[in-house]
Amino acid sequence: MSVTFHIPGPLRQFTNGLSHVEIGDIGGIAASPATLSDALEALWAIYPGVRDRMATEQGQIREHINLFVGNENVRYTGGLATALPESAEISIVPAISGGLSFGQIRSVR
Amino acid sequence: MIDQVLGHYRILSKIGEGGMGVVYRARDEVLQRDVAVKVVSERATGDTSARELLLHEARASSSLSHPNICTVHEVGEIGGELYIVMEFVEGKSLSALIAGDGLPCESVLRYGVQIAGALAHSHGRSIVHRDLKSSNVAITPDGLAKVLDFGLARRLFTGPPAEATRTLGPLDSDARIVGTLPYMAPEVLRGAAGDERSDLWALGVVLYEAAAGQLPFRGRTTFEITSAITHELPPPLPGWIPRGLCAVIQRCLAKEPAQRYQRAGEVQAALEAVQSAAMTGPVLPSDPKGFATTVLRSMRHIEVKNGDVLLMVGTVKGAFLLRSTAARARWEVGGPYFHGQAVYAMAYDGRHGRHRLWASTQSAIWGTILRSSDDFGKTWTNPMEANLKFPADSGASLKNIWQVCLGRPEEPDVLYCGVEPAALFESHDAGESWALNCGLFDHPHRPRWTPGNGGLTLHTIVPDPSNRRRMYVAISAGGVYLTDDAGGSWRAANHGVRVVFMPGKYPEFGQCVHKIAMHPARPERLFLQNHWGVYRSDDGAESWQDIARGLPSDFGFAMAMHPRDPDCVFILPVESDEFRCTPDGRLRVYRTRNAGASWEALTRGLPQKGTYETVLRDGMTADPLDPAGIYFGGRSGILYGSVDEGKTWKKILDGLPAVVCVKHAVVGEPRAAKQTKQVPAGRRR
Repeated sequence: MSVTFHIPGPLRQFTNGLSHVEIGDIGGIAASPATLSDALEALWAIYPGVRDRMATEQGQIREHINLFVGNENVRYTGGLATALPESAEISIVPAISGGLSFGQIRSVR
Repeated sequence: MIDQVLGHYRILSKIGEGGMGVVYRARDEVLQRDVAVKVVSERATGDTSARELLLHEARASSSLSHPNICTVHEVGEIGGELYIVMEFVEGKSLSALIAGDGLPCESVLRYGVQIAGALAHSHGRSIVHRDLKSSNVAITPDGLAKVLDFGLARRLFTGPPAEATRTLGPLDSDARIVGTLPYMAPEVLRGAAGDERSDLWALGVVLYEAAAGQLPFRGRTTFEITSAITHELPPPLPGWIPRGLCAVIQRCLAKEPAQRYQRAGEVQAALEAVQSAAMTGPVLPSDPKGFATTVLRSMRHIEVKNGDVLLMVGTVKGAFLLRSTAARARWEVGGPYFHGQAVYAMAYDGRHGRHRLWASTQSAIWGTILRSSDDFGKTWTNPMEANLKFPADSGASLKNIWQVCLGRPEEPDVLYCGVEPAALFESHDAGESWALNCGLFDHPHRPRWTPGNGGLTLHTIVPDPSNRRRMYVAISAGGVYLTDDAGGSWRAANHGVRVVFMPGKYPEFGQCVHKIAMHPARPERLFLQNHWGVYRSDDGAESWQDIARGLPSDFGFAMAMHPRDPDCVFILPVESDEFRCTPDGRLRVYRTRNAGASWEALTRGLPQKGTYETVLRDGMTADPLDPAGIYFGGRSGILYGSVDEGKTWKKILDGLPAVVCVKHAVVGEPRAAKQTKQVPAGRRR
């Protein structure tokens, strides 16, 4: 079983330019990720630059990043514990509202 | 040729022959040492202009001096024959050592680090190799790698891509192509001139070849090879090769130059990281310390010379760099760097011969990273791993970096960062690694600090130049804290500073201090701009006196110290905490020249009607020239400057995103900054 990550543009500088990363064909590391959390561990092991962009040092996925398995936002399917179906497609999607609310917060001091 | 004399070199024996010409071992009869002399064939140099260029470039490469570069001693011409005199390197070529099964990984890493170091040295001097290949690397009996033929390849084979695609016969039909084509980067094959990154591609090919024992891009014809280079992925490397090394090679062999490492130093660091991982235990899946670098090509950059004045302007949507001569009459602008990211802290580190810019970049989505540039903004590091991280057991995570502060001149590798949530980070290796200052983070007051409007931030750091154990920090809203044991322990230092928003007006801590400043010549004195209130301390922050008399408002953020006069401070008051704009719609800088006994408004050249500007806490700075230059930028995106200590002002730049940080630097040694008496262009009579 392998799963595929869709990598958004800003993170591709940390994935050797790849827009899709397949997890499962890389030998020992998380050969068959059962959960989203396993798949992320594997992705971050291969491309460590992605980890700190996606997650805080406390391991939380950053506030304005949404993760989808197929077309479902994992927020409603169990978060990082979401079980992955065979050949799952995982999308990392920066939230559009991120920039907006950021601008509002930062414009007042 | 044998026994002939070229200049003062007696030819001893023939060592080899290549596309470029014949290489001889020769005796330098003056210095009594053996050298290698390459006599360049007429075929290789072609017409006169090509010859001139070759001469020029060979002379440039003779400026390279590095243990892993074969030194070019001399370039000469005798009887119409061009010859290059080089260091005589005893040893075998790397290609001969690889021969078939590749090298042990330790050797690949060891040679790789050295070759990358050689490239970093030459690239730092704008010399691109352009023909790096395993047969151009010699390995001495002591295991030292020496890169040969630096910068010589460029003009020798004019238009290799055209030749490569024209020559469709078997590989051995053209010796010049065989040695070179498999190392050529895709962009070079597409006709681009190639740059440092094309050398890094070639380095990737050499590393692959050394690890696997065969070239990554193979084919029976030049067409097949070209096609493999431009379109195909190299065959997987054998399983015993550490994943970290695979990752480095893979990154060097990214088809797009922008996806590769951008600097040879990064490849060197990445290989070293794999080396140390291999030595210390389990092999890392990749090199977490490796750097990605953003190269900004289509953007305007500044060209900086010694003695220039530099302004670093951080905004909520990116950063700008401005440079001028010491006259400060005209400013050249570079940027915007870090599109869309907020840059709250910038700094220039010129200590220890460095020319390093620092910038904190905060992305709303991807987090906050501290980045640096050693070439005035053309390239910036983008560390794989976030460089400032709270420890896992702290429960905190970094929101923003508000201040980058250099350590004292006698501690050239010390740097500090003030961050949000309020904490101090320190580096003792010039920014390579950072650690949380636990003395302050574990302070019993910390749970009772409350966020100001901009968050709970440590925004100002002031090391005492006369006492290496003493340092001040300012926290909003926690107040001023000082240490007398180099950061081991801290105590609040807010006696006399009023807090309007608490029932007890003079608490031990909890003050919302906006800025503090100190003059290095008088370190016991500090100035403080508070959330309501302007103060001075003459006893090292033990007590504070109100000095706001004569100001239109004692609310404000920015504060800049005069470079020479410890009694002179510039501030920019705003009306109130509810209306954080310049009072009465007038943009006025206030200056005291008697340590706060009186204040004068500086308005010439500044709009005095309908201007509601907000200049934030790091939005003003004063350069060290004489007369001092004062600069500030605010939320309206206008940058103002004065080169006569505030007497008259001019708009330097407008239309910027909201400015949050303005910092200055004089580049090079301070004494190199010539203080011209020239009158700024706009004011010449």
